[in-house]
Amino acid sequence: MDQEKLIAALIAGDAAAFDYVVTQYHSIMLSVARAIIGEAFADEVVQEAWISAIKALPRFEGRATLKTWLLQITSNGAKTRLRRESRQLSLDDGWQAEPDYKFDHRGHRIDDVLQWNMDTPEALLQNDQLRDVIEKTYQKLPPHQRAVLTMSDMEGLEMTEICNILDISASNARVLLHRARTALHHSIEKYQES
Amino acid sequence: MFECKDIAEEASNYLDGDLPLRKRIGLFLHLVICSCCRRYMQQIKQTISTVSTLRPREQHDTDTQALAEKLRTISKTDS
Repeated sequence: MDQEKLIAALIAGDAAAFDYVVTQYHSIMLSVARAIIGEAFADEVVQEAWISAIKALPRFEGRATLKTWLLQITSNGAKTRLRRESRQLSLDDGWQAEPDYKFDHRGHRIDDVLQWNMDTPEALLQNDQLRDVIEKTYQKLPPHQRAVLTMSDMEGLEMTEICNILDISASNARVLLHRARTALHHSIEKYQES
Repeated sequence: MFECKDIAEEASNYLDGDLPLRKRIGLFLHLVICSCCRRYMQQIKQTISTVSTLRPREQHDTDTQALAEKLRTISKTDS
């Protein structure tokens, strides 16, 4: 839907426009709030973000997309809620893309990477069980990983926008994204092997 | 000299183009000689496109219709 028309419809109080934006953006706003403040306050932060956004809508200047603007409001609300509590993501937790036993002392793979039976995304998605595996793995990802993956690979946000929204460094964001992708890759790989 | 382990760790940065040229070339040269890592890289790509098509969503209990209606009411009283 065209953004200007959508905003005009919202300002005019069009019910379908409200349904549309909530359906489109509630989930990703929740993803951002959970990543910043955790599960307990996320719902409340998102509800408040919605209300602030709707009240500020007549002043929306369209410099960012509506999606990025909503995510920024959510992020600001979540950060305010944290009351300037200083926190740095600790990524030094011994995480590895692949466990050490898969490589020899020189870093070569010991076993072959097996060919997947289904070798296109479409083929993967036609398998209900596998869709279920992917959905479950996604839900189990830590909130920061889920938020970065959602914004990057599903919503197509730029890395700089993601870093601003989550208030993390580019290197942190890249590590989180790779961890999330790797976790999903593992789950597909495990399913293919079973 | 880059090894399979480096590919496993840098696959996303390689695909997203977020690497210094020297490292990028090093990883590329490894990919040329290692079919295992080519397959791994292909699978990571496939994972990304599968997730972007499947678009799993955050789980929540919010009644989105009720929320939309509540926001519409707020916008009316506010204007």
